[in-house]
Amino acid sequence: MSKQKDDPEKIEVVLFKSDTCAFCPRAEEVVRETIRDFGSDVFTLRVVNVSENPEAAEEFGIFALPTVMIGGMSVTGIPEPDMLMKMVLGIKVMTKRKVRSK
Amino acid sequence: MSDHAIERVKTGIPGLDELIEGGFPRGDTILIAGKAGTGKSILATQFIYKGATEYNEPGVFVTLEEPPHLIKRNMIRFGMDLDKLVAEKKIAIVDLSPSKEVTPVTIGEYPSFDLSGLEAIILNHVKKLNAKRVVLDTLSIMAYKFRSRDILREEFFKLTASITRTGCTLLLTSEIPANDQGLGVFDIEAFLASGVIVLYNEKISDTSRSRSIEVLKLRGSKHSSRIHSMRITDEGIRVWPEEISPGT
Repeated sequence: MSKQKDDPEKIEVVLFKSDTCAFCPRAEEVVRETIRDFGSDVFTLRVVNVSENPEAAEEFGIFALPTVMIGGMSVTGIPEPDMLMKMVLGIKVMTKRKVRSK
Repeated sequence: MSDHAIERVKTGIPGLDELIEGGFPRGDTILIAGKAGTGKSILATQFIYKGATEYNEPGVFVTLEEPPHLIKRNMIRFGMDLDKLVAEKKIAIVDLSPSKEVTPVTIGEYPSFDLSGLEAIILNHVKKLNAKRVVLDTLSIMAYKFRSRDILREEFFKLTASITRTGCTLLLTSEIPANDQGLGVFDIEAFLASGVIVLYNEKISDTSRSRSIEVLKLRGSKHSSRIHSMRITDEGIRVWPEEISPGT
């Protein structure tokens, strides 16, 4: 699930939210703004509403909301853009290494 | 029985119901506290197993610590086949243990979150099975998973309330750290619950230990104030209500 099937070059950012979570709307804003700053060709955003899809939260063991998952890493709470940047850069470095090692 | 009699939920632990007026009050939150190795998880699993097999009460067992395959392996030695009950949709074992490979590594936490994810996961299973019993094993693991204790405390209250609102009787287990005098790592475990049961496995001589159980509180119930002998037998946990523990 880390990348979209239709575009394997894009990094998938997953935001887990719920209908009752008071912090989730702000977290979604921060994530969308950060992605916009990077350029939309780099990312795809998948928003998972746990109230509608609790199985997805169970699959990934996500208890706390909001949680942003990028690759195998996650942050809980309203993330600071810097933290998201670090995660994204980490994923990009890892992806490049994988490509080189092939 | 008077109009105000509290409906009781049979615990499925032989001997325990006799100490607590016939069972846990239905819809209450009960804390099972004890140090490592005292039998908390066995007691909680037995509550779910017996609920499904003897009292026609489906149950949801949420494991935050031990992976399901180990829980199943541990219980089969008591003749309790959890896989069979899962297949029959009488119980659900919800794996939220750290051993899950797909769980992302948390690299940051900001003090602006709630536990509505955990709530949605649990309530989904409660609804699907029409469950009457829920176990959360163990609450203590949350202290290691999240740093923001104040948020966790508030969220625990919300979580326990939303589970019991469905009519389920909720058992929480809590590990008492070694050399600790409290009932868990949060210091609020006892407030969360209307009932508190403590398990002991005390050294009584150089060569032996003695297991025992104490009903520390159970709101709305007359309960024993003694510490009673308890054993882990081939058929699971058993309490001897007439026997006072030699270790205390």
